[in-house]
Amino acid sequence: MYGWVGQILRVNLTNGTVKKEALDPVEAKNYIGARGLGTRLWIKDCDPKVDPLSEDNNLIFMTGPLTGTMATNAGRYNVICKAPLTGAMAASNSGGYWGPELKYAGYDGIIFEGKSEKPVYLWIKDGEVELRCAEHLWGKDIIETTDTLKEETDFDARVACIGPAGENLVKFAGVINDYTRAAGRSGVGAVMGSKNLKAVVVRGTGAVKVADPDNFFAALTKARKMVAEHPVTGQGLPAYGTEILINILDQSGGLPVNNFRDSGTFPNADATSGETLAKTYLVRNKGCMGCNIGCGRIVNVPDGPYKGFGEGPEYEAGWSFGADCGVDDLAAIIKANNYCNELGMDPITLGSTIACAFELYEIGAITEKETGLPLRFGDAAAMVELTRQAAYREGFGNEIAEGSYRLASKYGHPELSMTCKKQEVAAYDPRVLQGMGLNYATSNRGGCHVRGYMTSPEILGLPEKLDNLVTEGKAEWTKIFQDLTAAVDSTGICLFLTFAIGAPEISEQIIAATGVDFTVEELMKAGERIWNMERLFNIANGFTKEDDTLPPRMLKDPVKIGPAKGHVNKLDVMLPEYYELRGWDAEGRPTPDKLKELGLQ
Amino acid sequence: MKVKFFALLRDITGVKETTDFTGTTLVELLEELSGHYGKEMTRWLFTPTAPDQEKQIGKDVIILVNGRAIEHLAGLETPLKEDDEVAIFPRLAGG
Repeated sequence: MYGWVGQILRVNLTNGTVKKEALDPVEAKNYIGARGLGTRLWIKDCDPKVDPLSEDNNLIFMTGPLTGTMATNAGRYNVICKAPLTGAMAASNSGGYWGPELKYAGYDGIIFEGKSEKPVYLWIKDGEVELRCAEHLWGKDIIETTDTLKEETDFDARVACIGPAGENLVKFAGVINDYTRAAGRSGVGAVMGSKNLKAVVVRGTGAVKVADPDNFFAALTKARKMVAEHPVTGQGLPAYGTEILINILDQSGGLPVNNFRDSGTFPNADATSGETLAKTYLVRNKGCMGCNIGCGRIVNVPDGPYKGFGEGPEYEAGWSFGADCGVDDLAAIIKANNYCNELGMDPITLGSTIACAFELYEIGAITEKETGLPLRFGDAAAMVELTRQAAYREGFGNEIAEGSYRLASKYGHPELSMTCKKQEVAAYDPRVLQGMGLNYATSNRGGCHVRGYMTSPEILGLPEKLDNLVTEGKAEWTKIFQDLTAAVDSTGICLFLTFAIGAPEISEQIIAATGVDFTVEELMKAGERIWNMERLFNIANGFTKEDDTLPPRMLKDPVKIGPAKGHVNKLDVMLPEYYELRGWDAEGRPTPDKLKELGLQ
Repeated sequence: MKVKFFALLRDITGVKETTDFTGTTLVELLEELSGHYGKEMTRWLFTPTAPDQEKQIGKDVIILVNGRAIEHLAGLETPLKEDDEVAIFPRLAGG
């Protein structure tokens, strides 16, 4: 095979066996790789109703056919399993260098089955694969674990691992590779922890073969030029990172404030912006393997209570620990984000859960008796302390570690959890971005902005400007964004490329790399197939139309101030049209004709 | 009126916001800004056109008047009042 290596590893952690299996080329064509193919491999082996933290929930690390090639920004892989946070399918996407290294070692992916009796890590060096004891690493954070494993194996090895949060089965623990790149969402790190698997360490000295080197080089050169010359990917993201979005969302009225309670505008939003970060704590920018954007932020807080080096924050973390908690102290936000990187947690769910706790405290549903410290919006020190406590399930952190849905439900106010399918939505208020609301409600992995990034047309004007406050046309755009994203996530390239290049440029690269005829139509069809496959998993797992909804606050409580004052999300207008465009019945189930069309019978 | 600048535009203006400029329509305000801050700002604000042609907004700029994108108002002809806020961004994205 070209693009794909053609081989996967199956590791049974219960009995310690390792098998090498050939990748099925028909499955690869239909589901591409990474998110799509990994999900397909999970579904073939596992029961949708499996307990996410049981040994029967396979954990799959999967690359795409472009991962590790010279294609534009092709450093991505996905971690796939049933999610402990949501009960839905998790496919968490990460960059860095780990995914490419796995392919250079000779494997497209790894399927972990069962559960090890004691902590272990997997060491892969080209053809040699070995499970090793990790008892000496249990309890260590991401930095110490990674440093130790590189010393034990090979200085050039790449490490994907869990921190204390994954070991402690925090419902939103992530898998962190290359020190700071995260497969962050839905709790894939907790599944890794439940298997007593501390790390996967890889060193590969091979290469990825492509089918048509001349046309591949021509296609990637064209795409890289477009990325370099686009104002977003060539200027804005390298200079300011994703935190660049704070001000435009605030100015548009779409930056959620204080657990979405006081949305409209956040006083002093600029203090937490990408512009401020660039002028204060930014040391330099950073990219993943083969990246010519460089949106990552190396930061240093030189003094004070939050002193230290780290990476980030991304926009979502800058918001969740910032405006959503009422905090405008950028150093504190950096500290909380560093805890997430070092202890292995998703900052979106964590920040949003802390914001939920702040509101529960303010209405008197919880008191200092439960929390151990006062919790009020704007209290940076409390926000940072809860972040640390959550990773260790220490004190009230044990409640935070369950995510906002379980927290708010326990104390009698499930309506204060800003979640869809029990996963926290991101930094775009759906009362102000109508299409993003539809995407949140229909996202197969629960509240998530990167399943269908409607912010792009609704606020940023890419590829064209849509009115964020109206519902017309949003169902069609949301479907297109969701299907294209499913395809992009499955190829192994970075989603940010789609700000500068489109499906035609992706198609040219993947055709030349694989030799498979992934026309734009085929690529979009594969994306739609992946979306429907995920939907079928959710249906088999008991999800229904009733789960395609938003928190009541977003449907009933109008925005209080700002340019979108008075608006709520009109999901009831968009959802029936969305189902119809998807070829689903009125209950949101794919029809037999749609399944036949997609080859999913 | 208050005019706010963001991201790379702050490197041109040297300030985050100003109340030094006026205009009864957006195009009048942008021409004032263009005249004051020079070619670098002009390149963001306007698409190059012949002198006898109508002004066109720059393809890589985002402009909000009181939080609404001008595409959903009257574009360059959007009327302005003394208490309006105009926010100007270079094309940006993230997520």
